[in-house]
Amino acid sequence: MRTRAELAVGVLASAGAVVLVSAVVALLKPHVPVLSLGALYVLAVLPVAILWGTALAAVVSVASMLAFNWFFLPPYHSFHLRESQNWLALGIYLVIAFTVSALAARARARREDAEQRRAEAHALAEAALDLLRGRTLDEELGRLAALTAEVLGVGGARLELGKQPPRGEERALPVEASLRCVATLFVDEEAVVDEAVQRRFLPSLAALLAVAVERSRLEAEALEAEALRRSDALKTALLRAVSHDLRSPLTAILASADALASPGLTLDPEERLALAETIRAETIRLDRVVEQLLDLSRLEAGAAEPHRELWSVDELVGQALSGLGADATRVRVEIGPEAPPVEVDAAQVERVLANLLDNALHCSPAGSGVLVRAEPGATELRLHVIDRGRGLPPEEREALFQPFRRGTDGRRGSGLGLSIARGFAEANGGRLWAQDDPAGGHLVLALPLAQVPAAVRA
Amino acid sequence: MTRVLVVDDEPQILRALRTSLRGAGYDVETAESAEQALAALAANPPDAVVLDLVLPDGSGTEVTRELRTWSSAPVIVLSVVGDETEKIAALDAGADDYVTKPFGIDELLARLRAALRRVDAPTEPVVEIGGLRIDLEKRAVFVRGEPVQLTPHEFALLRVLARSPGKLLTHAALLREVWGRGYGDESHYLHVYVSQLRRKLEDDPARPRYILTEPGAGYRLAERP
Repeated sequence: MRTRAELAVGVLASAGAVVLVSAVVALLKPHVPVLSLGALYVLAVLPVAILWGTALAAVVSVASMLAFNWFFLPPYHSFHLRESQNWLALGIYLVIAFTVSALAARARARREDAEQRRAEAHALAEAALDLLRGRTLDEELGRLAALTAEVLGVGGARLELGKQPPRGEERALPVEASLRCVATLFVDEEAVVDEAVQRRFLPSLAALLAVAVERSRLEAEALEAEALRRSDALKTALLRAVSHDLRSPLTAILASADALASPGLTLDPEERLALAETIRAETIRLDRVVEQLLDLSRLEAGAAEPHRELWSVDELVGQALSGLGADATRVRVEIGPEAPPVEVDAAQVERVLANLLDNALHCSPAGSGVLVRAEPGATELRLHVIDRGRGLPPEEREALFQPFRRGTDGRRGSGLGLSIARGFAEANGGRLWAQDDPAGGHLVLALPLAQVPAAVRA
Repeated sequence: MTRVLVVDDEPQILRALRTSLRGAGYDVETAESAEQALAALAANPPDAVVLDLVLPDGSGTEVTRELRTWSSAPVIVLSVVGDETEKIAALDAGADDYVTKPFGIDELLARLRAALRRVDAPTEPVVEIGGLRIDLEKRAVFVRGEPVQLTPHEFALLRVLARSPGKLLTHAALLREVWGRGYGDESHYLHVYVSQLRRKLEDDPARPRYILTEPGAGYRLAERP
């Protein structure tokens, strides 16, 4: 479509061309029979036909014929003609001018059409490349819409997957391939879209999009399958690791209960007590495994929403110690009164500390103790849990926090404790890591400091 | 003989509790649902109730609330890990104490004895626990004979705990008693005050002997150190 400005330029150029050719004719008139010079006006018609089309070319043809008549055919400065054969000459000229301009315009249309098709092919190739490059379809829709807008020659466009109803100021063009609407193209209500281009380009785009949609669906399915496979592998590993920890206490409980219930067995009171004591201890052990499994599943499900409150660390450590039973006496606590309160979920941090202490006590050689030391910082409070065990080489430290990892020394425990501890620490805005310490195992728990209300400080 | 109503829908737990409580000298009645429990409570009011929080036809909290409209018999609830909200609701509805499943029978018997003892015990003007002496009338606190300076809020907190030694007081109950109704949710203050109080009273604040924490539930003053 030609804009008003383009048309104005065309009219001015046409006028200029007629004036220019008239000047040339005037210059050549003394040397050449004037009637033969009329053919020069075709030179004005031709560029106009090529650049502005047949309509303007027709106007130029008539205008140049009239100018020729007015300036160069006697009587001068009148549209009358003295000799009747001049009418014939002008008529022939007009026919030639029209024919030339029609041919030129057709050549021009062909060239434009070829260019349009090349642009469409280019756009499709680019779209195909983009879609194949593996970016997500949603990211690509914006770019595809821009490409399409360029090809259709509209100001802007928007693509949405699936069949969408038109809305607001926008026109909805279906992007269909073999009767299936893959997407909807929204263009401005005012925009003029070339029907032929629309019929040609949109189905190709639809075919391309259909493939991309299918591919992204398959990709999503593959991802889901992979996630399932991984979580299955995780569950299998978990079950394998845990079944031992579940079965061994169960075995001890069943054996002890059988012994107690068996009428054929003669047991003295001490033996009966020992059996009952075994049942008790193994049940507590079983309960701990179940609790760890619950903690882990809560963390994995993202259900460990912490209920954060202000707590002093000595109270949190105290809660963890009270759960340790007799082992608590092996733990030395160094927390000064200056240790600021932290803002955490007490129950969850108690689980963190209990697991850290449990781990440290397991790692410590018999008779040696575990040290818990507080180190207040600017934004966090660090609790160091230090044992006199063998410690770990740097490359093994991170693996410590992976689930199912057992100590290389084959000690007891399902290897869930530290991964649970890290999960809860992070859920509470804290961090947990193993620190280099030549003296033994050294884990650091950093907890976020609380903003203490002024009323409490006073 | 002291009569205890045990409410739980698991027959095995009911049987174990019945046997143990009878062995400890209690007269035991059992119920397997909220409806049965309420009927038994009305027909023959017991001296104490051991109540599972999750019942097939309702919650232990509802039973407690109903019971509290006409009886002050101590209620010990049985809860499980992960059921903290329900446990607190039951305590705030008037339950006296809780034990977490799986629990040792010794623990349950101790809680039950303590709760029954508190029923008749008058509030003592002077509470003595080991080296800690709290004179409620004179508003004075001593640790091994040495006077301890407490801020008004610290003393108010200690006084609420000392009015019924051994009784579990929920965070909400303590905040209400010490700071008044408006502070019901500001548990923030509570933990920090308890921690300050412990630093003044306890030898080792990380291993408290007087003010005991019930994780996720509240605090209690120890009956004995």
